[in-house]
Amino acid sequence: MEDLGRIHQLIVHVMGRDLTFNLEVIVMTWIVITALICFGFLATRKKSILPGPIQVVGELFVNFLYGLTEDALGEELSKKYSPLICALFMFLLLSNWLGIIPHLEEPTKDLNTPLSFGIMGFVIAHHAGIKAKGIKKYLKAYCEPMFFMAPLNIIGELAKVVSISFRLFGNIMGGAIIILVVSYLTYSIITPPFLNAFFGAFVGTIQAFVFTMLTVVYIAVQVN
Amino acid sequence: MAYDIQTWVSVAAFSAGGITMGFGAIGAAIGEGYTAASANEAIGRNPEQSGDIFKSMLVGQAIAESAAIFALVIAMMLLFTNFTSHILMIPVLLSAGLCMGLGAIGAGVGAGYPAAAACRGMARQPSMSGRLTTNMLIGSAVCQTPAIFALVVSFILMFTDFSSSPVSPTWAAILGAGISSGFGAIGSGLGGGMVAEASCDGIARQPLTVTSVTNVMLLGQAVTQTTAIYALLVSFILMFKSFPATDLLAPPMALLAAGLCMGIGAIGPAIGEGFAGRSAVDGIARNEKHIADLTRLMLVGQAVAESTGIYSLVIALILIFVI
Repeated sequence: MEDLGRIHQLIVHVMGRDLTFNLEVIVMTWIVITALICFGFLATRKKSILPGPIQVVGELFVNFLYGLTEDALGEELSKKYSPLICALFMFLLLSNWLGIIPHLEEPTKDLNTPLSFGIMGFVIAHHAGIKAKGIKKYLKAYCEPMFFMAPLNIIGELAKVVSISFRLFGNIMGGAIIILVVSYLTYSIITPPFLNAFFGAFVGTIQAFVFTMLTVVYIAVQVN
Repeated sequence: MAYDIQTWVSVAAFSAGGITMGFGAIGAAIGEGYTAASANEAIGRNPEQSGDIFKSMLVGQAIAESAAIFALVIAMMLLFTNFTSHILMIPVLLSAGLCMGLGAIGAGVGAGYPAAAACRGMARQPSMSGRLTTNMLIGSAVCQTPAIFALVVSFILMFTDFSSSPVSPTWAAILGAGISSGFGAIGSGLGGGMVAEASCDGIARQPLTVTSVTNVMLLGQAVTQTTAIYALLVSFILMFKSFPATDLLAPPMALLAAGLCMGIGAIGPAIGEGFAGRSAVDGIARNEKHIADLTRLMLVGQAVAESTGIYSLVIALILIFVI
C-alpha cells in the first residue's frame, strides 16, 4: 500500500534551486516514444497498394484522425494540423495502455504529462486563432459581451487547460489507484485483469480520444 | 462520561459507512428503475425483440449499479478496517464517506439514461442493437467518471497519513475536500447521462449518423464533466497543500467553505451543460449536415453555462489562498 503517492524522483541542486525529475515518467515516456517510432518505421517501410498488416493499422489511424480534423477545421487547415493531432492521439493511446503491462506505468498518470499537452494545445489553438483572425479581432473576442468581462473570459480560457489535463490525469490516476487498492484488498486474486482491461484499455482509449478531440475543437473555436 | 479517541474514530467510521451506503443507494436505484421502465415500454411496443431488450436492460442496469458498488466498497472498508486512533481520522472517515456517498448519486441516475434509451432504441430499430449496445457502454462508462473521481478522493483520504499535519485547519481542509468532490460529482453524472441518452435515441432514429453522434456525445459529456474536474482540483489542493497551524476559527471555516462552494457550485452548470449537449446530439441525429454549426453552438452554450462554475472555482481558490 506504500506505493500510493510514491514517486521516484531525482533532485538536482542547480544554483540554489532544486530541479526535480520524475525518473519513472521519463523512462516510460521514452518507451512510448520508441514504440511509436518503431511502429511508424514498420508501417511505412514497405508501402504497397496491397498493404501489410502494420500498414493497415497505420492507415486506419491516419484516415480516421484526418477525417476528424477535417470535419472540425475544414480541408485547408486540417492538412496542417492533422499530423499533430494524429501524433497526439497515438502517443496518448499508447501511454494509457502502457499500464496494462506489469511493472510499466502510464506516463499520463503523472500530472506533468497531461498538463504539458494541455498547455501545448492551448498555445497552438491561440496561435492559430491570432493567425486566422488577426490580433485585433482576437483581443476583441475577450471583451464579449462587455469589456469588463475580460478577466473572467481569460480565467475561462485558462480553466480549459486545467480541465482538459485534469480530465486525463484524474481518469488514468484514478484507475491506477483503484487497481492498486483492489489488488491489495483481494491479494491480487482474479479481479485485477478485469480492472486493467476496463481502466487501461477501455477508459484509456476513450480518454485519449476525448483529449485529442477537445484539442481539435479548441483550435476550431479559436479559428472561427 | 468521557470517551477516548479510539471510540470517536469508531463512531466516525460507522456513521460514515452508513452515510456512504445510504446516499450511494439513491442514484443507482433511480437509474435502474428508469431503465426497467423503458424496457417495459420497449417490449410493449415491439414484443419480438424482448430477448435483446431484456439482455440490454440487465447490462445497462449492471453498469448503472457500479456507482452504488463503489459506495458499498467504501462502506465495507469503513466498517471492517482498523483505523489508527488519531484525532484527524475522525474528519478523514466522515469526509471519505460523504464524498463517495454523494458522488454516487449523479452517476447512478446518469448511467440509467443511456441504458433506457438503448432499450427503447432496440424496439424501434432492431438492426442497430449492436451499435446501440456499444454506444450505451461508452456513454455510461463516461458517466461513471465523476463517481470514479469521488472514489479516488475517498481512497486517498483513507490511505494518506495526515498525522503530522496540525489538527486545527487540517480537519476543515479534509472535510472540504470530501464535500467538494462529492457534491461536484452529482451534476456531472446527471448531465453526462442526458447527453448519452440523446445519442442512443438518435442512433435508433437515424442509424447512418452513428459515428458523428457518438463523437459529439463524447465531446458533450467531456465538457459536462468540467465542473466535476474543478471540484476534484479543489479537493486535491485541500488535501495536499500544507496549511499553517492556527487557533482561530476563521481559517478552517474558509477551507470548509471553499469545499462547499466548489462542490455545490458545480451541480447546476453541469446539468445545464447536459441540456445543451442533449439537444445538440438530438439535432445532429436529425440533421447531420449541420454538424459543425451544432457542435460549435453546443460548445459556446456550454461555455456560457459553465461560467457560474468558474465563479465558484474563483471564490474557492480565493478562500483557500487569499484568506
